[in-house]
Order: sequence, then structure tokens, then C-alpha cells
Amino acid sequence: MPENAPVWAIVVLPVALAVAAVVTAGFDAVLSGAAGRGHAGGIRRAGRRAATPVREALRLLVQQPRRTTAADRLLGRLGVVLVPVAAVLAGAVLPWGFRAVSDPSVGVVWFNAMEALAWAAVWLAGWGPNSALSLISGYRFLAQGLAYELPHMFALTTAALGAESLRVGDVVAAQEGVWFVVWMPVAFAAYLLSALAMAFWGPFAHPLARDAAGGAAAELAGVDRLVFLGGRWLLLVVTAGFSVPLFLGGGHGPLLPGWAWTLLKTAAVLALLVILRRALPVLRMERYMEAAWMVLVPLTLLQALFVAVVVLNR
Amino acid sequence: MDGWQPMLVLLGVVGAGLAALYGLGLWLAAARTPLEAGPFAGGLKPGEHAVSRFHVRWYPVTMIFLAFDMEMLFMYPWVKVVSEVGTTAVVEMFLFLGILFAAVAYAWREGALRWT
Amino acid sequence: MDLRAFLRRTAMSRPAVLVVTLPGATRLRLEVEAELRRREWPVVGAPAAADLLVVCGDPAAQGAWPEWLDDIERSMPEPAARAVMGESARVGGALDAGRGEVTGRAVAPRGDGGRHEDRAAPSGDGHHRPADHAEHMDHAEHMDHHASHMDHQDHSPGGHMDHTGHMDHAGHDMHAMADIAGLPMAERADDRDELRLDRLHVPIGPGLTDWPTGLILRLALQGDVVQGVEVDHLPVPPAHRPPFWDEPWLRAARGEEVTRGGAARRRCAAHLDSAGRLLAVVGWDDVAAPFRRLRDELLAGASRTEVAGEVHRTVRRVGRSRVLRWSIAGLGRLPADTARAAGVSGPALAATGDAYDRLLMWLGEIERGLEVLDDTRPLAPDDRTGPRGRLDGPRPPSQALLDVLPDLLTGVEFACARIVVASLDPDLDELALAPVTGAAHA
Repeated sequence: MPENAPVWAIVVLPVALAVAAVVTAGFDAVLSGAAGRGHAGGIRRAGRRAATPVREALRLLVQQPRRTTAADRLLGRLGVVLVPVAAVLAGAVLPWGFRAVSDPSVGVVWFNAMEALAWAAVWLAGWGPNSALSLISGYRFLAQGLAYELPHMFALTTAALGAESLRVGDVVAAQEGVWFVVWMPVAFAAYLLSALAMAFWGPFAHPLARDAAGGAAAELAGVDRLVFLGGRWLLLVVTAGFSVPLFLGGGHGPLLPGWAWTLLKTAAVLALLVILRRALPVLRMERYMEAAWMVLVPLTLLQALFVAVVVLNR
Repeated sequence: MDGWQPMLVLLGVVGAGLAALYGLGLWLAAARTPLEAGPFAGGLKPGEHAVSRFHVRWYPVTMIFLAFDMEMLFMYPWVKVVSEVGTTAVVEMFLFLGILFAAVAYAWREGALRWT
Repeated sequence: MDLRAFLRRTAMSRPAVLVVTLPGATRLRLEVEAELRRREWPVVGAPAAADLLVVCGDPAAQGAWPEWLDDIERSMPEPAARAVMGESARVGGALDAGRGEVTGRAVAPRGDGGRHEDRAAPSGDGHHRPADHAEHMDHAEHMDHHASHMDHQDHSPGGHMDHTGHMDHAGHDMHAMADIAGLPMAERADDRDELRLDRLHVPIGPGLTDWPTGLILRLALQGDVVQGVEVDHLPVPPAHRPPFWDEPWLRAARGEEVTRGGAARRRCAAHLDSAGRLLAVVGWDDVAAPFRRLRDELLAGASRTEVAGEVHRTVRRVGRSRVLRWSIAGLGRLPADTARAAGVSGPALAATGDAYDRLLMWLGEIERGLEVLDDTRPLAPDDRTGPRGRLDGPRPPSQALLDVLPDLLTGVEFACARIVVASLDPDLDELALAPVTGAAHA
């Protein structure tokens, strides 16, 4: 039976997530550098590119705070801060091996509730600065939410259905033999898509797109910008990491201890997302909405039906 | 419900971390007084304040979403009792989902999922 | 050395750059982009994120010193500086000077008071910004003072909401009572379905990234739908040299010796530039970036064997992407007869279709151009077809592209509007070819 991690884990978790976010962003920077500037051609140059996120963070710390004319500062700031808060709180139910900071009986619902805060966060950050381009971009995320949220919830429910429990620890325990990804591949794929969408990253980065001068982040400078964009990487790490206990067997695996398997699998999922992102342009919801509702929703529904039938006959 | 105490502590830790980050920013910033700037849309000044009643043309989708999303909430407790209740639980749930999806398909045919 | 200064200096070792290009400075823009890529400095799209404003072109040639340029600079948080690349400027040196200024301002902050008054232009050719900005500072304080009233006056019903007739002039003649912090709130107007909805007037450009140099679109937005468009642009100064992208054909027309290979090289680079811009707007940096790198390698004189492999690979990658096709097909449809009637020639006419068709047309011309890159025969003097169309028509090809914009942009979403503009990619430098007609100046 899974149990809560010791108290010090509460302090370690945010730090560990931040380190994972920096490493992921560094890997992404190395790949982007190779595409834009040619291959690094040397460990030192690649290392310098990998350090880009750290340098960027320092640069933003040195910037003067900034606000726009007649801005809604309270709501804008709230939106900015909400992104990392939602990410870390959602991360509380992430099992590290077999122990999470907390493993409530409704852990899956807690995760869902926390990542749904991103809706509020991006919209508030877009509304706050009183700037047309960031306002447009904030609303882009709402449309995105309408498209990704249902397949996402069906994917979550399907995994919980396989374990007949909403406790994350039980979901992991149910995968001791066969990982859920084996008999729920559609739910896994839908989950990964929605993980990208809720982290508004990669092909789902339209709310922060270049065509709107940075979108919801267009007017953010200094620490605000760092918190918002850094929080986005945290959110990506947490949502990608949550696919491990849901579908990839959590800490289960031969030879290595549970925590090592969790780490390996999370790194693999993140690497996969960072690499696959390169193959796609940014998706606009105007086109994606129809595909999400008429393809992803029925597919995930059929997947849930299949799992329900299996559960009945088990 | 001691499962929630760690969450509260975690919220405190994150809050402290963010406060420390803002503090570090103040210490390092090249200027501490916030800069007051106009909104950016390429350099020229806008005609009005941007805060306004924003016209979303995907409004019908929000309605469909609300209906479906409410239903999703039933599914969470449902997963815990599927094998307990047996076949009726699955039949009832998927009949319900089927009806809802029929409505979505109708809305789609009416063009509610496209707005450009 | 104290830790704080060290961290500040380290932070600004690679300042984030916002590049703004003025009409007539395409060559400089390309030089700056190549140099920034070589230095691996971050390039950003908004002043909030930027440390260094790089202006390509001579602002003084805009007539009066452009105020919008100062506005952009004023909205950059400290440490911030400006580097102006005049015609004769050495790009590397000017960037170094800019970084020096940014680092200096970071390490030795000058207090928080009148921050912008003493910010001199660290430019290569020494244009100093006008000193009399006092009135703007006063204005800013005025805004500050009124900002707190915002929440109370915000959505008050009735009041000033019913002046439909004034819609298009909002912001000019309504200064008296409805203003908050110097600006009125949005008013309602009919949309295409005759719903009365809040309408915003937002001029976009010329400081946007991945945007045709100097273009200004005055948009009327309802939600993110473009309800009305007015095409405008920065003054295009009469050039003493031909537009960069049309140079080989215009020089050949003047009887100078230009090889077919040289012309093909310029055409390939122009299309790589346009396609890179479109792909950046679409949000596919992973192919936009190599396109831009290959463009610069071509312009630097790379031989066919050096670039052909990667060009073909990247072009194939773009052409094979079904997601890209699904994403932009159907946007900005321009049938041949409409295009011809507007005077469009070149790829936008030949593509006879949407944004995706125009992209494919560019890609095809790039691949065909590579085949003749080493052709040393002279260009026929009657070959006047530049990258954007026929240069011997009554009007420059880009003028026709600008003329079709209002019809294509009305009623589409903001994101689609940006894609449509990028898929036509008018080159405003060409407007100096002929007398500019019907364009009010910013």
C-alpha cells in the first residue's frame, strides 16, 4: 500500500520539479539551436546552448518590473503566479517510485482540478495587461481548453477505471503486471496530446504565439515573465510526468528500484515530447476543435467502453 | 483527511519560493520602480483600452462543453463501483454518453464546431 | 568584484534583441539577423522581453524622427538601450556597443527617476534622439494618476455606448469625458451578423517580428475577428539603390552584367526569406530557422553543392507535412481572375489559391532556382520578373499585393490575418520604384 512521503519531500518536490524543468528546457534549447544555427559541433558549444534557460532566467531577474497603462494588476499578477502554483500542487500526487507527497483517495480528481487552474491562469494573464494582443491570446487558451479538456478527462477516467480507484497509488499498484498503456493506447495518446495542450507548449503554444508578439506573455517582463514561462515548463514536466503512474506502470520495472524507474520513464516521455514537437506547426483551435470533438472524444469513449468491459469480465 | 495537510504545506512552500524569487528579482533588478508602459501591438497606440466585452465566436462550443463536462463529474465516482454494480453500471453510463454524443454530433452537423 | 554586479554583467552577456526594420533597409536586416544568429543572442518579439532595440535603417529618413520608435524604446524595461544601424554602420561593432550600454545600465543603475532622458543612441552613425521628451513623461504621470479610476468607470452601462456614427473615429474626437488614462473604452458596433459588439481599433505593425517591413494595418477588431482593415505603411524614402530583392533584374534592365545564376540566387533567397517568415508565423520554428540560415548562406555565396542537400531536405519536410496543410489550407484564397484584376503577378498569381498554395509555389521556385545557381550566362535584359512579380508593370508588384489585402483580411481571425499577410509577403521597398499612391503616412 502506498504511503505518504516524509515531510522533507514537501520541500524537495518543488526543487526537483524545477530542476527537471530546467533540464527539459535545456534539452529543448539544444535541439532548437541545432535547427536554427547548425549543429553545435562540440561539447562546449552544446553545453552553452543547454545553459540557455538558466541564462534567460538570470536575465529576467535583472530586468526592471513593468506594468502597462490602466492594467488590471491584481488579476494579471494572479494569473502569472497561478501557473507554477497549479503545476506544483498537481505534482503533489505524483508518486516518486511508490510514494507521493500526498496520496489522497481522490488523487486523480485533485490532479485534474489543479491543472484546470491553467484555464484561469492563462486567461487572467492575457486579460491583465490591458493589451489587445494579449487579450486575444488569453481567449485563445479558453478555446484550447474547450478542445482538449474532454479527451483529457476521458483519458484520466479510463486509467482510473482500469484500477477501479481514484487513488493514484492504486492506479500504480494495478499495473504491477501489465502497464495500462498496453491495453489503453488511445487513452495514453490522448493524454499526451492534452498534456501538451494544458501546458500550452509546443504545437499547442498558440496562446503564446509569435504572431501575437508573445501572446499572453507579450507584456510580461522581469520576474513576472520568469514565473509565467518557468511555470509553463513546470506544468509540462508535471503533466508529462503524470502519464507515468497513469499508463506506464509508475515505479514498476525489473532490477532498478522504483524511484529510478519513475525518473527514467518521466525523462523518456519528456524527451519524446520535446523531439516530436519539432515535427509540428502550432495548431489553431479554429481547425483543431472539430478534430478534438469528432475524432478524439469518440475514440476515447470507445477506449473507456473497452476498458469497462474488460473490468467487468475480470 | 490527513492527505490534505501536505497540500497546504506545499502551497506554503511554493508561496515562499515565489516570494523569494520576487525578492531576488528586487535585489538584482536594474531599476526597482516599475516601468509604466503602453500596450504593444507593433509600436502604434491603440484606439481604445483593450479590456472590453470580447466577442467569442466559439460560444456554442462552450455550451456543449458545459453539458458534457458536468456529465464527466459523474464518471469519477462511477469508476469505483463498476464491478460492484456490474453490467447495469456500464450499460447505463454508456447509454448516457451515447445520448450526449448524439447531441454533439448534431451540433457538429449544424456547424457549431466551426466558426470561421 | 561584488556578487550583484557580477550577476548583472553575466545576465547581459547576451542581451535579448528586438529588431525593428525601416523601409529600404532589407540588406541591413539580413546582416543583423545573420550576426545575431552567429552570436546566439536571444531574439524576442515584444519590448517587454527585450534589452536591446536594434533599428535597421535610418530613422531620420522617415521625415521627422518617428515617435513610435521612441514609444517602443520607452516601453522596454531597464536595462535597455538602442542600437541604430545606419547605412554605413558596422553591424558587429554597433551590437557590441549596444551590449556595452546595456551592461553598463545593468551594473550601474542610474536611479529610478527620469530613466529615459539620458538614454543616448549608441549607434554606429550617431543619430541622437530628440531631447525634448518632457511632454511624454508628463503624459505618463497623468496616466498613472488616472489608472486607479479604471475599475469604477469600467463597465458602467449606458453612458457613452451609443455613438455608432463615431465608431471609426473613436480615439480622436472623444477626448473629453469618456477617457480613462488618456484612452476611451471600446464602443459597440455591428458585426457581420449585425450583432452590436464592442469594437477595438488596433493598428498593428511596423514593429512586429516576422512582419513585412514598414507595413501598418489599422484593424477594427471584434473579439479576435478582423472587422475592418485599412492598409497603411511607413514612408518609403526614395531609394538611391534598387530594392534589395529586385536588384539583379533592375540592374540587368539598366544594361549591367548580371548572370542568370546570380539572379536565381537572389530569387531563392527572397523566397526562403518569405517562406521562413510564413513558417515562423505559423509557429513551426524548426523549419523556419533552417530556411533563414540557408537564405543567409546563399546570399553569402555558398555554392550549389553546399546548400542543395539541406534545402531539398527542408523543402520536402515542409511539403510532406499534412498538419501544416490542414492548418493553413483555405486561408486567404486569391483566385486568378481577382489577382489579375488587382495587378498581382508572380508567385501569388501563379499559385491561384490559398496560403498553402502560395507556400508551395515559393518552395517550387526555390528548388527550380537551385538548378541554375551556377549558370553564368547573362540574364536577358527583358527578363523583369522579380521574386514578387513583374517589375515592368504600371505599378510595383507589392503594391498589388497590398491592394488585395483588405478583401482577404476582412472577416477572418487575427491569427489567420497574420498568416495571410505572411503568405503574400509584400516588400514595401518596392514602393519606391514608382510614385506611391493613396497611402497616408503614420
